[in-house]
Amino acid sequence: MRARLAVAGALVVGVVATALLARARVAIVLVVCEALFAALAALWVSPSWRAAHPVGTRLAQTVMTVDALGVASAFVSTSVNGNLEAGVSMTIVLLGLSFLTGSSGQISLGHGAFMGVGAFAAAIWANHHAHSPVVIALLAAVVAGAAVGFLLGLPATRLRGPYLAGMTLAFAVAFGSILNAFSSWTGGDSGLQLPTAVSAPRWLVDLLPPSDSPLAAATVWLSQISLVVAGVALFAMSNLFASRVGRSMRLVRDHDVAAELAGVSLPRARVVAFVISAAYAALGGALSTLVNNSVSPATYGFALSITILALMVIGGIGTIPGAMIGGLIFAYSTSSISWITARLGLNPQGNLASQLNGIIFGVLLVGAIVAAPMGIAGAGRQVARRWRERHHLRAD
Amino acid sequence: MNAFLTSRPVSDVLTGVTNGVIYALVALSLVLIWRSARLLNFAQGAMAMIATYVGFVAIAPHANYWVAMVVSVVAGCLIGALTERGLVRWLYGKPELNPVVAMVGFLLVLESVAAAIWSTSSRGLPSSFSPIDWQLGGRPLALSPFAAYEIVTALVVMGFIAGIFRFTKLGLRLRAAALAPEVSRLLGVRVNRMLTIGWILSSGVGAVTAVLVASNYFTGLTPTAMDGVFAFGFIAAAIGGLDSPGGALASGVTLGIVLQFVSDYVNANDVILVALGLLIVSLMVRPNGVFTRDAQRRV
Repeated sequence: MRARLAVAGALVVGVVATALLARARVAIVLVVCEALFAALAALWVSPSWRAAHPVGTRLAQTVMTVDALGVASAFVSTSVNGNLEAGVSMTIVLLGLSFLTGSSGQISLGHGAFMGVGAFAAAIWANHHAHSPVVIALLAAVVAGAAVGFLLGLPATRLRGPYLAGMTLAFAVAFGSILNAFSSWTGGDSGLQLPTAVSAPRWLVDLLPPSDSPLAAATVWLSQISLVVAGVALFAMSNLFASRVGRSMRLVRDHDVAAELAGVSLPRARVVAFVISAAYAALGGALSTLVNNSVSPATYGFALSITILALMVIGGIGTIPGAMIGGLIFAYSTSSISWITARLGLNPQGNLASQLNGIIFGVLLVGAIVAAPMGIAGAGRQVARRWRERHHLRAD
Repeated sequence: MNAFLTSRPVSDVLTGVTNGVIYALVALSLVLIWRSARLLNFAQGAMAMIATYVGFVAIAPHANYWVAMVVSVVAGCLIGALTERGLVRWLYGKPELNPVVAMVGFLLVLESVAAAIWSTSSRGLPSSFSPIDWQLGGRPLALSPFAAYEIVTALVVMGFIAGIFRFTKLGLRLRAAALAPEVSRLLGVRVNRMLTIGWILSSGVGAVTAVLVASNYFTGLTPTAMDGVFAFGFIAAAIGGLDSPGGALASGVTLGIVLQFVSDYVNANDVILVALGLLIVSLMVRPNGVFTRDAQRRV
């Protein structure tokens, strides 16, 4: 009860501050967002409500996250918004890989290529249907990703770890040639340009301060789209993790013979995991294409697949916070690396500076899998559990 | 006879064998480790590439080609031993996901470090074999002195490894340690030492392969020179069966020939696509490889 009072108090403070500080039209939107956040938070703080409504809890968490980040995106600079969009796309990809590895225990070294499948599918769709809405292009990407995932998932029904990893590696290496084989569709080495850039709708431009350029408004709008898409993906994934499908897949991962005895069809579980995972990667790739307004085959090489694997392991395999941490690391990796380069006084054009990204990610990947296989999210969970145990001991 | 030897299909077979022995060597290197440690060494190509850099650029930049090659192979063996003792030791007995991830991370570290030290620009290695095809009755035979050197070197390496495994006590111990580690330990075989020796042999084979690849006039030595070769070598090993050295060699050479026919009669771009297709089909039909006997997996 005390927690609910605190939430209500925060709401009142927020509304008053908003009304005092912001222009009238902006204030209305912000108050609506704050009220939504506070209402969900008031439900969410109650343990009994969370226990009674698991799906509602996940929905509330997702909406609160999207709400807060969406409001924040309107107040931050264009470059921060760019980082936000990159991180959100990568989070979706990582959710997919995390589901594959964390739930069914399979591994993919080809998720960069699956991202590429989605990116090219969205770009091809947009080029052939210039006036169709963004959602349709994203759905086309999801369908294409799922189809390719199904094709590659078929052999996965009979393969175990290293063989499967090698096969997905071969797919990642072959991806450039696959694009070249369909160069009339994919534009070959030069890739594709989207016919029209996504531009912000009228009402959003009106809401933002008039001093902002149309480009800034478009960036904010893209952030909002990315956040909503990521919210849908996140909500679906959190339910999937907890669902019957997710549970049967964890059984497949931990003990395939026991899973078979319990009536789980191993081939089906493995293919389904692959299809879902590839569809998520494709969605992330399509989203990044919309943001960048173009797509190039060079982006989706083997290096990207290793980066995705590294982000998943460092963030935490098989957890949703892990995927979000991975996305955050990805969003700020470039600027962190240039900060380190400047700090160490390296020549930014030199060999070492240009390879620093690979060296750091590689060392972190090896270090994480040897020393902390559950990643940052796993370590955080452990710390939180210890803290809670101590807390309870003292309370008793 | 000359017309036959310089005909298109025979040329394809010759070029295919030249490429195929390289795939076969990579496959052999992978099989050597897989049999003893149940680990697929994704960093195999990168380790071999580093060994070549160490031999030809770091230690003996102005030396004779053969001296530099020996230095590279020794460096390769050393890198193999260090990797096994320093990194792989930590991964035994972990879920099978962990070694895959660790070796991929190691691959990334090695390639980045190599590019940081030696830059990404290509270097030619001073092999004295001409890449120009021999002439036969005025028409080119699809075989150059360099190709012949590649094939002969590969055969020597394969013979050497086969000889060790078949005719020496060390080979017997290696096989025993791989097939029945507990029993061999009881019988006095130092299983851990055998694992290290397996890595040394595998990395030595890898170093020879990388020197051959980098000596090729058209590719040269770059930090990523082994990536494509590794992918084909893995495909060959997986089709042949990671448990079967003979199968790996046979499928490596066969893969080289088949892909050369694809490249000549269809399209050079489609080579990796066909290889991927072959891999998928063969893994679906025989998941443990074409040349391995079926064994029941113990639960």
